[in-house]
This record gives sequence, structure tokens and C-alpha cells, in this order.
Amino acid sequence: MTTLRPLSIAALVAALSVAPAAAQDTIKIGIPVGLSGANSVVAPSVVQSSEYAAKEINEAGGILGKQIELVVADDNSGAQGAQRAFESLVYEEKVDVLISMETSAARNAGLPIVNRGQTPYIYTSFYEGRSCSPWMYINAWVPEQQVAPIVDHFMKEYTAKTFFLIGSDYAFGRGMLEFTRSYVEGQGGEVMGEEYLPMDGSDWTAIISQLKASGADALITSTAGGAPNVTLTKQLRAAGVDMPYGNLAVDEGTAKSMGGDATGIYIAASYVTGIESAENKAFLEGMAAMFGDDLITPNDLSVPQYEAIYAYKAAVEMAGSTEPQAVIDVLDEVSVTGPRGTITMNAQRHAPLTMYLGQVQADGTVNVIQSFENVDPGEQCPQFSN
Amino acid sequence: MARDGAAPAGLSAVTRRVRRTVLIGAAVAGIVIATAPFQLDIYTKNVLIRAFFLAALAMTVDVLWGYTGILTFGQSAFFGIGAYACALVAMHYGFGPFWFAGAFVVAILAAVAVAWLIGWLAFYHGASPLYGSIVTLALPIVFVQLIFAGGRFTGSSSGISSFPTYYWSFETWFWIAGGYLIAVTVLGYLLVKSDFGRLLVAIRENEERCAYLGLPVSRIKILLMMAAGAIGAGAGFGYAAFTNVVAPELGGFLLGTELLIFTALGGRGTLIGPVLGTIGIDVTASYLSGSLPFLWKLITGVAFVVVIVLLPQGLIPIIGQGLRRPWPVRRRESVDEVTLRSFEPTTPHGETPSAPLRTEGLQRHYGSLKVLDGIAIESRGSELLSIVGPNGAGKTTLMRCVSDGGERSGGQVFVNGTEIGRGAPQSVVALGIGRSFQNTNLFETLTVAECLMLARWRIDGASLFSRRSEIALPRPAVGILEATGLDKALTTETRNLSHGQKRGLELAMVLATEPSVLLLDEPTAGLTKAERTAIGDVLTALARGHGLSILLIEHDLDFVRDISDRIVVLHQGALLMEGTVDEVIASELVKAVYSGQSVETAS
Amino acid sequence: MANLALDMITTSAILFIVASGLMIILGVMKLINFAHGAFLTVGGYAAYLTTEVGLSPWLAPLLAAAAGFVAGIVVERVIVRPLYDRPLDAILATWGLGIIIGQLITLGFGREVQFAASPMTGTLALGDIEYSAYRLALTAVALAIGAALTALLYLTRFGLNARAVIMNETLARGLGIDSARVRSLTFGLGAGLACGAGALITPLLSVDPNMGLPWLVNSFMLVLVSGVSIPSLAIASLILGSAQVAVSTYVSPIIGGLTIVVLAAVLLRLFPKGLGRGT
Repeated sequence: MTTLRPLSIAALVAALSVAPAAAQDTIKIGIPVGLSGANSVVAPSVVQSSEYAAKEINEAGGILGKQIELVVADDNSGAQGAQRAFESLVYEEKVDVLISMETSAARNAGLPIVNRGQTPYIYTSFYEGRSCSPWMYINAWVPEQQVAPIVDHFMKEYTAKTFFLIGSDYAFGRGMLEFTRSYVEGQGGEVMGEEYLPMDGSDWTAIISQLKASGADALITSTAGGAPNVTLTKQLRAAGVDMPYGNLAVDEGTAKSMGGDATGIYIAASYVTGIESAENKAFLEGMAAMFGDDLITPNDLSVPQYEAIYAYKAAVEMAGSTEPQAVIDVLDEVSVTGPRGTITMNAQRHAPLTMYLGQVQADGTVNVIQSFENVDPGEQCPQFSN
Repeated sequence: MARDGAAPAGLSAVTRRVRRTVLIGAAVAGIVIATAPFQLDIYTKNVLIRAFFLAALAMTVDVLWGYTGILTFGQSAFFGIGAYACALVAMHYGFGPFWFAGAFVVAILAAVAVAWLIGWLAFYHGASPLYGSIVTLALPIVFVQLIFAGGRFTGSSSGISSFPTYYWSFETWFWIAGGYLIAVTVLGYLLVKSDFGRLLVAIRENEERCAYLGLPVSRIKILLMMAAGAIGAGAGFGYAAFTNVVAPELGGFLLGTELLIFTALGGRGTLIGPVLGTIGIDVTASYLSGSLPFLWKLITGVAFVVVIVLLPQGLIPIIGQGLRRPWPVRRRESVDEVTLRSFEPTTPHGETPSAPLRTEGLQRHYGSLKVLDGIAIESRGSELLSIVGPNGAGKTTLMRCVSDGGERSGGQVFVNGTEIGRGAPQSVVALGIGRSFQNTNLFETLTVAECLMLARWRIDGASLFSRRSEIALPRPAVGILEATGLDKALTTETRNLSHGQKRGLELAMVLATEPSVLLLDEPTAGLTKAERTAIGDVLTALARGHGLSILLIEHDLDFVRDISDRIVVLHQGALLMEGTVDEVIASELVKAVYSGQSVETAS
Repeated sequence: MANLALDMITTSAILFIVASGLMIILGVMKLINFAHGAFLTVGGYAAYLTTEVGLSPWLAPLLAAAAGFVAGIVVERVIVRPLYDRPLDAILATWGLGIIIGQLITLGFGREVQFAASPMTGTLALGDIEYSAYRLALTAVALAIGAALTALLYLTRFGLNARAVIMNETLARGLGIDSARVRSLTFGLGAGLACGAGALITPLLSVDPNMGLPWLVNSFMLVLVSGVSIPSLAIASLILGSAQVAVSTYVSPIIGGLTIVVLAAVLLRLFPKGLGRGT
């Protein structure tokens, strides 16, 4: 059993597929992202906002005079693909930093490689919280930031006392709803039921019947994005459910394409396209100019990606080099003012964010009802706070 | 018994050559693995370490599917069990040399236990291969759901990462992964090239026939599943310890089907093909799938379908043949000198106190249709009992019911005084039944000698890691081989035999199991007059000279008249009459039955 | 309680609709069509395209079934026919076909969720409970499909030939039945039923490249448990579907999702011949 043959094929393939070696004076940013698999719907928007940030920065002279080079790798939205992608970026491409929106499984799979390779990593997807690594920062929201606006609103506006929680059985779904339960109970409310379906499950019949039988005042769901979210909403509407409905996993784009079924759903996000600020306006116009008809609507996953590249730029400029430890040391000191406002990541590696509570309108747009300034992510990684 | 009958020094030429091949192959592979880390970049090393563990898993798929015919979608689950054992123990219980080794043991034990359960579910006697596949399909689905449901403990969909593990150098991990792959592949190669390996092929080709040769097919498949599960769990353990990550997809259905794709493309039933195929495809995927995510999957899908439909033997053997063409084609290892030895069978069973075969009130229903209704017969030692009757009288059903405890709907069957209960054919065979079949589909790709060894398995055993070069058969079996010229054709594959020779081999195989009751279903069908006479002589000699009790189904009434001691006539599932040859021949009733008149059976 | 009963009945009806195409193919051709999930997905996309070009959503299942029938005939000719004597390989080849269909759909439509218009929305009042109108409609459709298949098998020439092949193929061929033609039509019929089912369940689901996959395994289990007969498939759907709803309601929906797989594996171990033929 010889390994020579596959190796030579691999070497050949590598020689053919890898672009000519980059010049020494660029800063390489690795972007492992789910071009295939569960995240493939949103991944192109993340790549677009990264390209836009790179173009802006390069046209303005780069970082410390060096041009940015993006290296995008598909992680197949899962652990095995992420291992390949991270190894390729860290060991083969030798990138200076990893900035990515990924599934939790992919992030977890990448972390050991990040730790061994000692590469700074900014994670830009909202997630279930409490993932900590000395080499990682996160600039998106966690349950502590997202749940409160919706629950508070339901309690105040609808005098809701009893809640029913439905989710997909995976880390994000469970993490969000566990936090929701404790928050609801902390506010004096009651959780009538907390039910999950497997991630690929599509038959919500029994759960919906339980929901209707429970007599709860309000419903909060946290499913996997895409199909489960859509099937649940459709079946809820088909069953005639019309109580206040907060969806922790729907984004503007999905809500829009769902048509009438989505009307009335409450969402909370750190970014909606309707934010009225000069930065957001400039960002949206710049994106539209760069991508034209190919533009995928910017969203709560692609905007943090854009801002994270600027955060890295600021950190390198403050540290004066791309030396990994130096960059990590100052990432919690730099502020970036972008479409979501001015954001500074904290010592616990997470970011206080302004959160927006919105409701989906009949025409599919999201109407911002209220905004909450600088919502704190709470205790996420106390080991780094000292 | 004579489990290792061959003298210790008497390793067969095949075994010696297999071992030489293994030694050279393993040495070359060992040198490559030992030196490769110093020439490879760190990324390729990483990719290869993971590919090695997956290749070890694919190897087990090939042993199960390629060799034994068990189409399994579930090997990934064992990989997942091994991986999660590593992560969960390190994360929640403790870490250190002792804990690490303990976790490994837990991984293996858990996998073996699950494999046993799966085997018990899937491989009972009479289970359809489709059902077995579906059970293996359900396994990874259930596994992944359990991991999801495990919440914080199992990390749910996110998996667990950064649990304590050994951050040995990449070189060390390369050697561990490569060493594991070489070790299990050597083990697998020795196994499939041994007597036992031939047995696996026989099970793939004709499982029912194996059961009727007294082979504990279900037990063998379950044990094989357990071994494959253990190896898969070991690979998963290593994978998790190296990557420091576990995720549900490691035990998922998609990996299970990917393994089948690797195995099919590499060449099923070649062992080395799937190993190289897995490494090749996985490495290529690492370089290609990043840039062509969807196209890559489409390409593998198309390649898979093309290979399954057009090139069932896979790609690597074709590449191999292409390379080998300039040299003369090597002989098949089994085309080797095999010597035949005959011995006198142990005391004839003729004078045992109880009848060799006795049935009481035997019934077989299909819904409301009664195919056998209350049959009571008794055979004697040293007797040739013929069972005759028109088509549909229930003759073959009777044979089936006395040789497989699961077949009858009611009544009792005693073999040498023991009730067969609900025993599967192999346990009935162990009581002394030998059954030959109407059709002659033997084990196509096995040689005559291999078929005979198969028949001797129950008595002589089969060596797990070597091939024997001598077959000892009872004298009557040797007699048949000599009469049909098979003793000169021991290394011929059975598909190349003449019809008469196939019949002869069939009979010799049954006799090789040393039965005391011989059930023969039309042993002379399609034979020439001369061959028929020869078989008749052999049968009478067996009954008279060796004390066997022979039950014979025959359509050829002349043949029946010539050799039978006694005749039983079945009609529409009932016993119409029983008597000596002369009585039956003279009976008006029987004449009426055979001339097709409607007959009221005696109540 | 009445609501639970309705859940059980409608869930069983949906399972019956989804599994019927698989059963027809298994019965006549003795092979499991692993591309069944992919055909369901194709049906979903057919429904999406139907409403996209502005046709009535009521037409979607019929158009999907017609498209599936044609696709089935082609697939049978190219992929399945060479594998008649290798049933396990046919499983793998149809699985590979499923991968190919899934990737082609992904390349053509992207991975995102598509939306097909629903033919009917809202609830119906049954006594004092409000119940999803479309689920009730599906129950009627299931009965209609069952009746139509029975009529096809027992009242037509094709049905007679198909039943002959189901019972004893060698004999059927001996009687001059063109079994190749029967197989080809059967695969087309099975694929057509699968695509039609995909279009029928779309209003309750989302249309995406993997929508058929979760239904695949449950369908196998149903068909293996039921054996080849329409009434026994109905009974198996009712038993396993009700068990799923009951476990989901009283134990946990996650275990509920595994109910059919695990229960069927155990049932088959106890009654190896399936419910339709045992006892």
C-alpha cells in the first residue's frame, strides 16, 4: 500500500488550483465560510461584504501600507469541511487573520487549528454564546442581547404572562431557548412548554397541537435557519395560530420571501437595512455600486463581517504590526464605526451592541419598533476579563 | 477436533505467498509512512492523517460489503462512537495516560456492543439483505439524534472541541495514523485471504447454501460486524484525539454513504482499492472541494453511478490492470496444489436406538393454503426412502420443513431422537441432516477445493489467518469426486464445471458434512443415463455400506424403482401411501394420481 | 383528544401519499428506489415552477406527476435496467442518482428556500376544533390515491400484468407478459407518484434541495413493514404514523422523529415477512 500515487495527484491538483504565490507585502485575510451546506444561502452575502471592505481599504491605501488579500475557503457548513478549510488557510496559505461567519460546528472544529496555529480569529456570526479561545474575538450578538427586547415587548404590549418555546434540536436552538426560559421566568412569566424537533425535521404537527392546547399568550421560536423556520411558520399559519410570535432565527431576507405567512412576526437584530445613519447609507450605496444586480441584501451576518475587517485594520494599526499576539492584545481597545454604529469588543471577547426590535409588515419589510442602546452580552468569557 | 489438523510446518503455499506479499507490502508502506512526514508540508500531513483514519474505516466497509455482501450504511456510526468516547471521557471525566487508555477501551467496548445489537437485529436466519441494510441505515440516524439530544453533555450539533488531548507533533500523529492503517489493513488482508475469507465470499454468493452446510452464518456475520465496529471505533478515536474535534457528522448517514462511494470507486472486494481510493478521494477533495463545492459533489455522484452501473469492480483495479499489462498476468493465489486425503467415516449411525428422521403431524400453511397437512414419516438407517408425488404435492416443502426449524407451521421433527425446535438450518445440520438442492448454483467464484473446505468448516474449522493445503474428506465423498473427475479439477472455479460435475460436487459437499440423514432433491435432474447410474450406485452404497438414511425426491420413477427400499407418496400435501417399491408400483391409487385424476385422499 | 386523532389520521395520510410510489416500485421491481427522496424534491420544484409561471397551485401535483413519470421512464432505461440482477447495487445507483439530482437542483436554483403558493390556507371548523384545511384535504387525496391505485391494479390490463409480475415474474414472462415494459411503466408510475407527492406536501413544507431526504428513510420503513399491498400500506401508515404522533405528543418530538425507524426495525425483526404477509 503506497501513498505515493495519491500524493502526486494531490500535488498536481494543488499546483493547478492555487493562484500564483502572493507577493510578500500583502496582508492575507482567511475567510472560511459555508459556500456549500446549511450556510450556503447566506455565505455569498458574507463574501460580498468582505470583498467590499477589502476594496475600500485597499483603495484607501491598505493597512500599514500593505494591500489586503482575501482567501475564501468553503467549510461545507460542518466540522469536517471546516477542518480542511482552517488547515488550508492556517498551514498552507499562512493567513494573518481569520474572519468568518460560520456554523457553531464549523467554528468549534476550527478552534483547535486556530489555537495550534496561533492565528487571530474574529467570529462574526450570532451564536449561542460562551465559546472562548485566547485567539478568538466575536462581534455579533449572543442570547443575552437578543432575547430581552422581544420578551419585554410581549410582556408590556400584550401583557403576555405565559410563553411557549419551539426550536430545532441543535446548539443554537437549545442555547437560545434555555436563555429565553430563564429570562422569562426571571421576569415573572411562565413557560408553558419547550419543544424541539430534529434539525432536518419538517413535521411540526404534534408540537403545534401542544402549543394550541397549552393556551400560552405568546410564542417564541428558535429553529435552524432556512427550511425548518419556513416549515414551522407555514404550519403554524395553516393551523390558525395567531398569537404574538417572536422568531429568534429569521432574518429580513427570509421574512420577505416567506410572503404573507411571515406577517406580524417579531424579530430582534443588531442590523436591519432600515437603520438611519450616514454610515449605513454609505455602506448600502457602496455595496449597490460595487455589485449591481448581483447584490445580495446585506444582513445581520454580512454586516458584522464587514465591520470585523475594519476592526482588524484598526488593531493592526494600533499594534503597529500583524504580529498575532500584539493584534489580539489590542482588539478589545479599538472601536469601529460602521453600519451598526460604533462597536468596541470587550475584554471578554464579545461586543455590546445596539439591538433593534422589528415587526414584519404585510409587504415583507421590517418595521423597526424600538431600539435598545449598547445591550451588554453579559458574562461570556470571564477567564479573559481580569 | 481437528481444528488445526495440518502440521505446524505445513503452511500452505498460498499462505506462505500471502504472508510474503503482506510482509513486503507492509514494509514498503511502513517505510513510506516513516519517511513521508519529513518531505511533506504541514497541510498535506494534516490531510493525510485524517485520510488514514477514514481509510481504515473504509477498509472495514470493504470487508463487510465487498467480501461478505453486507451492504452497510452504518460504519460511520462506529467511527462516531469511537470519536465521542474520546471526547466525552476527556471532557467530562478526566485526562491522562490512564484515562486516555480507558477511553479507548470504552470506545471499543461500546462499538462492539452496538455492533452485536445491530447484528442481532439484522442477521437472523432468513433476514433479507435489504433488511440488514436498512438496519445499518437506521443506526447513524439514531446515533446523530442521540448526540443532538445530549445537549451540553455531547455538545449537540456544535460538537465538542478543545477537549484535553495529546498535542503530539504532526510527525507522531502521522506515524500513529499510518501505523494504525497498516496494521488493520494487514489484519484485514490476512483475513480475507484465509480459509475464513473464502467463507465470507461463500456467504456473499449463497448464504442459504452456507447455512445448509452447517455454517453458523448469522454468528459469523455478527462477529464480523463486531470486529469491523471495533476497528472503526479505533479509527474514530484516533481521528478525534488528533483533530481535537468531534461533531455529529462524524457518525452520520452522509459519511456512511461516502464510505460506500469511496469503496465502490476504489474497487470493492479488493481491500487495497478502497484504502487507496479513500486516501486519494479525500486528499483530492481537500484541494478541490474548497474551490468547486457543488461541482465536486456532482462529479463524485456521477462517477459513483457510472462505476456502479458499468464498472462494478471499481477504478483502482482497472488502473492496476493497465499498469500491469506489460507483465504476464499473475495466477490466482488459490490456483495451487491442494491435496486430497480420504478417511473412513466414524461408525455408521445405522443402529442408533431412535429413527434418524421422524416427523409427527407436520404442517405447513401459507395463509389458508395447506401445503403440508399432518405428515408423519419415519426413516430408518441403511435405507433409501423415496418421496414421490406430482408437482405441487409438497415434496420440496417437506424437505425444507425437516431441515429448517423455522419453516413448519405445526408438528414436530426429530433428528436422531432430538426435536429440532425452531433451530436454523445450521443447528439442524449439526444434528445430522445433510441436504442437497435442486438447482446447482454453487459458489460461482470458489474453486472445487474451496467448496469442499467450506463443507468441512463445521467439523474442521477454518483458520482465521491462513489457508490450508490439505482437505480430508470421508471416503464416500472422495469416491464421488473420483467418479466425476473432480479430484483432478480441485482448483477449477465451479462456474467452469460441467453440469454433471456440479451435481457431483453438490453431493460430495453434503457428504463431507458427514450426515446421518441425507436429503436429496432430484439429484439426477439433467444428468446423462451413465451419470444417473453412477449416482444410483453411490447412493445404494452409502445406504447399505455406510448406514446412512437417505431421503430422495425424484421424478424419474424408473430410477426410484431401481434403488429405493421404501416409497412415500405425497399428494396435495397429504401422505397418500407408504410402502415397499412393489406395493406402491402396484397401487391403483398412485396410478390414478399420476395420470392426473382427482383423487380423494384416504381420510 | 379529537385533535390528537386528527393529527394521527392526517399524518398517516401524508405518509401514505409519500410512500406509495416507493411501494409500487418495490412490489413490481423488487428494488428500493433510493432516489425517492430526490423525486420528492423534484416534485417540490415542479410545484414551485408551476406557481411561478402563474398557473393554479391545484395543477402543481398533476404537472409534477407527469414530469416525474417521464423522468422515471428515462432513469429506468439508463440506470436501473442494467442492475436488475444486482438489487443491492441498484440501491446504490439510485442513491447516486439522488446525489446528482440534488446537486443539479442546487446548481440550477441555488440552495435557498423557495416558496410555492398554497392551493388552500386557513382552518376548517370541525365541531369545536379548528383544524388545518390543507391537512384534511390531503387525507382525502390519500384516499383518492389509494382508490386510484387499486383500480389501476385490479381493473386495467397494466394492473393485471403488474400483479402477475409481482407474484411470479418467471411465470409472467412465460405467459407472454412483456415484463421489461411493465417494469419501465412501473418505475415511471412510482417516480410520478413520488413527484406528485412532493408537490402535494410542498404547501406544508419549504422547497429546498434537501426537502425529500427526511422522508426517504421513513418511507422505506413503511414499505418494508407493510409489504406490497395497498391496504397494508394504509394500515402500516396508520400504525406507524399514529405511533409517531403519540410519542411526539406524550414523550418528546425528538424521539417521535425516530419512532418510525426504530419501531419498524423491531417490527420487522419480530414479523420478518411484514405485516401484509405474516401470521
